This record gives sequence, structure tokens and C-alpha cells, in this order.
Amino acid sequence: MRRSLALDAFAGAVAAFLVLPILAIVPVAFSAGSFVRLPPLAWSLRWWAAFRADPAWLHALLTSLEVAALAGLLAVLTGTAAALGLARLPARARLLATGLFVGPLVAPVIVLAVGLYALARSFGLVGSIAGLVLAHAMLAVPYVALTVGVSLAALDPRLALAASGLGAAPWRIFRTITLPLILPGIAGGAVFAAVTSFDEVVLAIFLSGPAVKTLPVLIWEQVRVEFTPLVTVAATVMIVLAILGAVLGRLLGGERAQ
Amino acid sequence: MTGVVFEGLWKSFGAVEALRPVDLAIASGEFVSLLGPSGSGKTTLLNLCAGYVEPSGGRILIDGRDITGLPPRRRNMGMVFQSYALFPHMDVAGNVAYGLQVRGLAREEIRRRVAASLAQLQLEGLARRPVRALSGGQQQRVALARALVIEPDILLMDEPLGALDRQLRRDVQLEIRRMHVARPRTTLYVTHDQEEALVMSDRIAVMRAGRVVQIGTAQALYAEPADTFVARFLGESNLLPGRVTAIEAGRAVLAGSAGPIVGRAAPGLAVGAAAAALIRPEHVHERTGGLAARVVERVFLGEITALRLALGDGTTLWSRRLGFVSPRAEEVEISWNDRDVIILPEAI
Repeated sequence: MRRSLALDAFAGAVAAFLVLPILAIVPVAFSAGSFVRLPPLAWSLRWWAAFRADPAWLHALLTSLEVAALAGLLAVLTGTAAALGLARLPARARLLATGLFVGPLVAPVIVLAVGLYALARSFGLVGSIAGLVLAHAMLAVPYVALTVGVSLAALDPRLALAASGLGAAPWRIFRTITLPLILPGIAGGAVFAAVTSFDEVVLAIFLSGPAVKTLPVLIWEQVRVEFTPLVTVAATVMIVLAILGAVLGRLLGGERAQ
Repeated sequence: MTGVVFEGLWKSFGAVEALRPVDLAIASGEFVSLLGPSGSGKTTLLNLCAGYVEPSGGRILIDGRDITGLPPRRRNMGMVFQSYALFPHMDVAGNVAYGLQVRGLAREEIRRRVAASLAQLQLEGLARRPVRALSGGQQQRVALARALVIEPDILLMDEPLGALDRQLRRDVQLEIRRMHVARPRTTLYVTHDQEEALVMSDRIAVMRAGRVVQIGTAQALYAEPADTFVARFLGESNLLPGRVTAIEAGRAVLAGSAGPIVGRAAPGLAVGAAAAALIRPEHVHERTGGLAARVVERVFLGEITALRLALGDGTTLWSRRLGFVSPRAEEVEISWNDRDVIILPEAI
């Protein structure tokens, strides 16, 4: 195929537009100064030292990871079950039900946040890990349901028929045929769910408490007090972890899907 | 060994009658082909037998036992799908072993039976191969091995050779036939390929528009087709259309554009009804003093040569003769023997 210079330049510009805000953060984290400026005048690891010295950051990071892992797990169980159920519905009902399932994706997050806050208060879940996990799982379930749904749609229905003809009961068919074949979709959905939770800030701001605070919430609070390069260290940690997660998701989801 | 009986079995999908009530008894160890064009209900009948589709009415009996309500897993049937439906995440041995593992057999027993099955189908050495890495012919044999290894009461096959090329298909047809003769097993075989049905079957059920039109041995169907549809579907045929003018003592006279034709009257024939005279191409001979015909096409087919002949009124007939002996002249005189002609009712 012939490549044109103009097209290359345009593609480069789009790529830059997408990644520049992210890349701008990283150098600042290695700045020696006390203010956020680009490019930094001098380099140092002093903000990384400060990040490690303050237990609040580590605590927030661990909280984030814990919430992401639990929310991911919950979303995978619920989302996979949902996808399996949706696949069995007649076509029209499935369309309708799928619409309901992607509700959390299209509803404004702030609306969800207000609603969830009210709910969480009445159940005493504000400021608890459980509250955050439930809220994030709710956001992530549609992703899992969709990715698993795609895997299920690609599954030849005759495989299950063949297994039942060979004597397998429904649960055994699920365990030995369906599950292994949709596993890439489940794994991809799991990582996506965990990353969604790890990145989420709006619901987390509403549902965090003094003792339970995720990393994005702490970054948000810090920025409002003073915008030092320390915040960009936390942001860099988040970016790296999120990218690792996304790569992992692609590897898990893409490898066996062919 | 077990036979299977369908009693008034039928199925409709909404307003579509996929299968009209069928009564069919298949003897123990018998190989029966369901032969028909797509949409004739043959796959529906197979799926009803396997339990993949619930009948709208009627019963399925195995050795007199009603299995109509049983789920597929309790029927002990071996199914070979057109697409093979091999488990893509397992290797060859894993696919073949599946039905045995489900039955909870001991490991050693499973290993022994899988090995024997792979050997029988010339798949030794491929046991650890992922099924995706196999050729179409190998996949087909794995599908057959997987269905046979569970020692099914009934073997069901849904156009299992459709995806193979012609040469391979012939080899596998003969292979399946040999296996069947060596160890007869009640088999229902769905196909739209007449040759396949002829090669393998003890009996053939010709299906059309959700009904079994005729069932019988290949020879019986070829010699005594029930109507023009069966005649057309099995073997090459010349069908000269017309109206029945007389039936007497098992013989009928058909008035057509080429003149009156006399032949045996097929059952169900009525005077005045639309009918056709069936004259197989091998029965159309060159003979001086016969009908004048013009050779319009010559097709060399190897051991035979097919000739298309046009009669005076424009009716065309196929004739075939051994070798590539073909008349030198364009104009020939042909005739046929009245006892080789059957007057058939037009298929409804």
C-alpha cells in the first residue's frame, strides 16, 4: 500500500493529541523543583521519596488495588452470568435487556454518584470498602457482559449439542466446553473491569471516607490543596499500573480468541 | 443392537411444517439414508431422533421403549455433524475421550478405547494434535471416532462428507460402508447426494417438503420409483410428460407430445391425471425402424458416452452407451422396450 506523508503527519498528530497529556505528567514527577512546570528545570527523585515517606499515599494505592480486585471479581461473576442469561433470551427480549445492562455506561456518572450516595448512606456503606466495591462493580458489569457476550456469540452452538449428545449434563457442558472457550472474553472483561475501578474518581469521591480513600480521590484532594510534583508521582504510578492492566487484558483476551 | 421406530412423528416451527407425520421403522443394524433436497425435513428428522429438537407430536421408540421425552444425553446416540463440531480447545484424543469421561469410565479403560478407536480410523500419531491443525478429512474421522467410541445404539450423521473434496468423499463413503458391513450398527444418514445414499445405504428414504415420499432399497427406488420426484432424484432419467389415457392389467398408456407411450403403471396412477413416462437413458437404444431423432449433444463421461437426442416434436431424451462409440450420423432411429418404461404420477 502507498503511504502518503500527509496521512502519516495526521496520524502522528492524532496520536500526540491522545498521549501528550499523559506524557506531560511523567517528566514532572522527576522534577527537582517545588512547582509543576514543563520541562522541569532540574531532575531528582525527591518527590518519589516524598511519595514513599507519606503512608497516606501507599494506603490509598493499596485501597485502590483492593477495591479494583474485588470490584473486578464481582463484576466478572455478575457480568458473565448476565451474558449467559442474555444469550438465552429470544432476540427481541435480548435487545431490550442488553439496553438495560449498558445503562450504567450511558448514564452520567454524576447522576449515578448522587443516587448511589443516597443509597449507600441508608445502608451505612459510605466510607467503606464494600460500598466502593459495589459501586465500581456496577460500573464494570456492562463491560464484562459485553466482552463475554461477544465470546458467546462467536461460540458454535453445536459444540454444546455435541457434548450433550455424548452424554454430558448441562453443568458439565458449561464447565468443560463453554467456560474454557469463553475464558478469553472473561479474562479480558475482568482486567477491563479492574482498570475501570482503578481509574474511577467520581463515584469514589462520593463514597470515600476518612479511612477508606482510593488513589484518584487522594490525588484530587491533594491537587485542591497544593499542586506539587508529588501529585504527578501518584499519577505516574496510576498510569503505569493502568497500562500494565490494559496490556494484560489484551494478552489474555486476544491470544486465544483467534 | 437396537432398532428405532418413528410413530406419527412431526414438527412445525411456528407456521412452518418442517416435518409432516412420519411413520418409519428402522431395523437393528440397518443403514438408512434420508435423501432429499434442502428443506425436505431430513435434518429435522435427524435432530428429533437425537433429541436436539422437541417434536410437536408423535413418538420415538427404541426397542419398544418410548424415548420421546428423554434429553439427548440419555439417548446413547452418536452424532456426526456436518461442521464436525469438534471441541476446538482439545486435542484429538481429548475429543474422542470426551464421551467416555462423561460416562465415568476408568482412566485405563478410556485410554485403551481411545487408542483402539484412533487406530480403527487411521488417526494413530495424531492423538496429541490440536483439532484445528487437522485437514478436513482428518477432522471428519475424528468426529466419526468421537461418535463411535461411546458405542452408540444409533449412529446419526448429518451430511458428514459435505465439506470434503470429491475424491476423498468417495474414499470415505466406501470406508463407512466397509465399517458398517463389518460391524452393522443402526445408522441414520442425512444427505442430498444420491450417489452417497446409493453407495452406503441398506435402504433409502427419499424426502420432499417434510414427507417421506418413498422408502426402499436403492434397487427398488431405481427400478420402481413412486413418482417423478423420486425418479428425478435417483439416477439419470428421461421423463416424458403427458396424460394417462388408459390403464389395464398393470399397464398404462400415456398421451404425450411424442405420441402414445405404453409402460407399466405405477401405483396411484389414475386415468386423466398428469403423469410422465420414465425411460432410463440406458434403455434408449438405437434401432432401425424406430423413432427418428437428431443428436444434439454428445458428452464423453469416461466409461460411457451420453447422447442427447431430440425427437421430431422437440422432446429431448438422454441415451447412454458404453465406451465412446457414438453414431456417426446426426440423424438416428431409436426405440425402447415397453417393459422398461414406467408411467409415474407427477409429484404433488
